[in-house]
Amino acid sequence: MQFKKVLLVDDEPLVRRSLEKTLLRAGYQTETAGSALEGIGLFLKNNLTDSPFDLVILDINMPNFEGIEKQGAGLDLLSEIKAHNPDIPVVMLTAFDEVNKAKEAVSRGALAYIVKGREQNLISLLNETLGE
Amino acid sequence: MTTSPKPATPEKKAQLLLTAAKAAKNFASILDFDELLQQTVNIICDEFDFYYAGVFLADKAGQWAKLAAGRGAAGKAMIEKEHRLEIGGNSMIGDCIAKKKARISLDVGDEAVFFKNPFLPETRSEMGLPLVFGNRAIGALTVQSTEEAAFTQEDIAVLQTMADQLAVAIQNARHYRQEQRRSNYLAAANRVGRNLTSILDLDELLPKTVKIICDEYNFYYAGVFLTDFANEWAVLRAGYGDAGNAMIEANHKLKIGGNSMIGNCIQTKEANISLDVGEEAVFFKNPYLPNTRSEMALPLVVDNEVLGAITVQSEKEAAFNNEDISTLQTMADLLAVAIKNAYTLNQLEEAHQEILTQKTFEALATSTTQAIHWIGNKALPITTTARRMQEDLDQKIFDLDSIKEDIDLILEGSELIVEVKEKLIGQAREHAPRPLLLPDLIDSAILELGETPVKFIVSIDDPIPTMFGDSSQLVQGLAKLLTNSIEAHADTVEVMIGTNTDIDSVFIKIKDNGDGIPEDLLSNIWVSFFTTKGPKSHGLGLPATLHIVSQHRGTISVDSTVGEGSLFTLSFPIGRQPENVISPSIGSDFCLISEENYYSKWCTNLFAANQLQLTIASTFEDAPKKSTYLINGDQKGIFSLLEHRDDRKAGNTIVLSNLLTVEKTTRLLALGVDDVLLKPHSGSEFEDLLKN
Repeated sequence: MQFKKVLLVDDEPLVRRSLEKTLLRAGYQTETAGSALEGIGLFLKNNLTDSPFDLVILDINMPNFEGIEKQGAGLDLLSEIKAHNPDIPVVMLTAFDEVNKAKEAVSRGALAYIVKGREQNLISLLNETLGE
Repeated sequence: MTTSPKPATPEKKAQLLLTAAKAAKNFASILDFDELLQQTVNIICDEFDFYYAGVFLADKAGQWAKLAAGRGAAGKAMIEKEHRLEIGGNSMIGDCIAKKKARISLDVGDEAVFFKNPFLPETRSEMGLPLVFGNRAIGALTVQSTEEAAFTQEDIAVLQTMADQLAVAIQNARHYRQEQRRSNYLAAANRVGRNLTSILDLDELLPKTVKIICDEYNFYYAGVFLTDFANEWAVLRAGYGDAGNAMIEANHKLKIGGNSMIGNCIQTKEANISLDVGEEAVFFKNPYLPNTRSEMALPLVVDNEVLGAITVQSEKEAAFNNEDISTLQTMADLLAVAIKNAYTLNQLEEAHQEILTQKTFEALATSTTQAIHWIGNKALPITTTARRMQEDLDQKIFDLDSIKEDIDLILEGSELIVEVKEKLIGQAREHAPRPLLLPDLIDSAILELGETPVKFIVSIDDPIPTMFGDSSQLVQGLAKLLTNSIEAHADTVEVMIGTNTDIDSVFIKIKDNGDGIPEDLLSNIWVSFFTTKGPKSHGLGLPATLHIVSQHRGTISVDSTVGEGSLFTLSFPIGRQPENVISPSIGSDFCLISEENYYSKWCTNLFAANQLQLTIASTFEDAPKKSTYLINGDQKGIFSLLEHRDDRKAGNTIVLSNLLTVEKTTRLLALGVDDVLLKPHSGSEFEDLLKN
C-alpha cells in the first residue's frame, strides 16, 4: 500500500523536524518547507506528478511569498493551495490561540485549527481524515 | 447756680409713672440692641416731652462713653461724628458714669461740668442718669430740656427707675445679641464641620476650609497653618483668595513660639485675639493683608496634640469678642479633627504601601524561589537528560530502560513549559471590555468543568448589575476556582452572586466544603508554582485566576478553615450601566434556542422591557420556522443539539457563547453552524448581532 503524502510548512526548524519525525513514524511520507514561497513551490511541483500531496499542515506566521516575515502568511498560502486543489484537506497548526484566526482559517477552507501545545490529537485527526 | 428740682403735682406724678411703666414694658420686649436704644430715646422725648435724650455706653476699657443712640437729627449727627466723652472727665455724663450717680443741672449755662454742645444749643436743663447693672455702670442716659429747671424730683426718681430698667434691657439685648452671634457661629461651625470632615485629602480639605470659613463668617481672610515635621515652623498650607495664593507661592511660614500671633497660639495652644492690630506688638504686619483690623488665631488641637493654627481676619476693628473665641474654636476643633483624619489616612496609606511593598517583596521572593525550584527541577533536566542520551548513543550504550526513563523526564519537564503558556498566557485576549452578566458567566464556568459528582448550588440576588470585561478570560478564571474546590475534595460548592451597593460592585462568593487551606499557606496560594497538591500540580491555577481578576480591576480574597472548606470572594466594579434599548427594527424573524436558565430569563426580560417578543425554544424541534436561530452555546448537549438539527429549519444558525475556544469554534463550524460569536450581554450588542 502506498504511503499518504503530507506537506508540512513551518518556519521554525525545531517544530519542522520534530513534527516531520512524528509524521514519518506515524507512516506518512512527509516533505517540509520553511516559508510560504517554498511551500507553494513544493505543493505545485508535486501536484504535477502522479503522487500529489494528500494533506497539508500549515503554520500561520512565516515568511510570505516574497520571503518577508508576515503575520497570516500561512492563511494566504492556505487560500493559494485551496485555489489549486479545493478538495485537499489542510490543517492549520499555529501558536495563535485566537478564535477569529480559526474562523478565518475555516472560512478559507481549513479542515482543522490546532494550537501548538495542544497538538496531541493531530495524528488521530490525520488518520481519520486520510482513512488510515 | 444749681437749683433744687420742683416737686410735681399728683396728676403729673401719675402720668410719669404710667409713662415709665409703658417704657419699661417696651424695653423688656425689644431684643434688638440698636432698636432698643433708639426707642428709649424716642419714648423719653415723646412721652415726657423733653428736648433731647441720648444713651451713652462705656467702652470695654472703661475709658470712653460713646454715644450709642440720640434723639432726632442732633442725635444722628453726633453718632456719625462718633461723639464720645471721657469717663471721669469733665462732662456730666463722664462724671455720672464714673460716680454711678445721677447728675442734674437745671441751668446748664451755669454748670462748669457741662460740655457746651453745638448740636444741642437750646438745652437749658440736663439730667445724667447712670445705667447701672450689678455693680457696674455700663453707660448713662442724658435727658435734656429747653426749659430752665425743667426736672422735678419725681422726674428724676421715675427716670432713674427707667434707666435702671433700661440697663437691664441693654444687658439682655447684649446677651441676646451675643447668643445670636454664638448661635450663628455655631451653626456656621456645624456647616464647616459637615462640609469638611468627610474630605480626607489635605490638599482638597484645606483650601476648601478657608473658603468655607470666609463665606460662612464673612471674614476678610482665613488661613490654615500646619506645623512642620520638626515642630519648628508653622507653614501656611492654605490661604483665602489672591492673598492666600500669593503667600502660599512665597512659602509663607511663621516661627512657632515666635513673635507672631500664629506662632504664639501654637506654642501656647490658646486662641489669640488682636482687635486693633495696628497697636498689637504680637501681630505680624502682613503686606499681603493690608486691610486687616482684627485678627484671631485659633489653635488646631486634637487630643492635646497641636497640629497647627488657623487665622481669621476681619477688616472691621473689634470684629471679635472674647465670647466669639469659644464658638470659633468649636469650628477650629472640627477642622482639627478633619485634619487629623486626613493625617491618619495618609499614615494608613503609607503603612499600607509599606506592607504592600513588603508583601510584594515576599511574594516575589517566594514566587522566584518556587519558579527556580520548578524550572530548576523540571525544565533544566531536559537539557541534562538529552545530553546524557547523546553521550550514551555516542558510546553506543543502548539501555532501553534508561532511555525510557530519560524520555519520561524530558516529557514531564516540557509539559511544565506548555502549562505555563496555557495557564499564565492562555488564549488571545479581547481588545476591549464588553458588558457582562456575572450569573451567566458562572453557568458557563460550571459547564466548562464537564461531568463532575460535585453539587453546585447557585443563588443569585437579582437584579445583578452589568460588569465589564473579557468573558472568555473570566469564565476560565471562574472555572479554575471551581476546579480548585473539586480538587480540594468538596462535594458541595455554593455560589452566591450579589451587589455591593455601597461601593458599586458585583461580588461572587464560592464556598466549598473541601479540605480547606492551612493558615500558614494562605498567603502563598496566589504565588505561581506554589502547590499543596503534590508534584503533578504546577500551582498555576489560582495565580492565573488572580491575574484575570486583576485585569478586570477586581479583587479576590479567601477565607479558609482546614477540614471545613474555603470561601473565595471576588468583586468587580460595575461602572456605567448599559441602556439595554433594542430598536423594533430588528423584527421577530429569529428564535433563541436555549434551556431555561439565567440567560434565557434575562433575554426574555430584555425584550419585554423593549415591548418586543422573543421566541425561545429548548430544541430545534420545538422551534417555529425562522430565518435565524440563535443558539445558547453554553448549555449541556450543545453538539448533539446541532447534530440532530431538523433540516427543514436550516436557517441561519449562530451559536453564542461566553467562552470561545478555537477547538469549540472549529468543531461547531464543522457541524454546519454559520457563525460562533460571543454571547451578547446588552441590548445594543443584541441589536448589532441581529442587524448584521
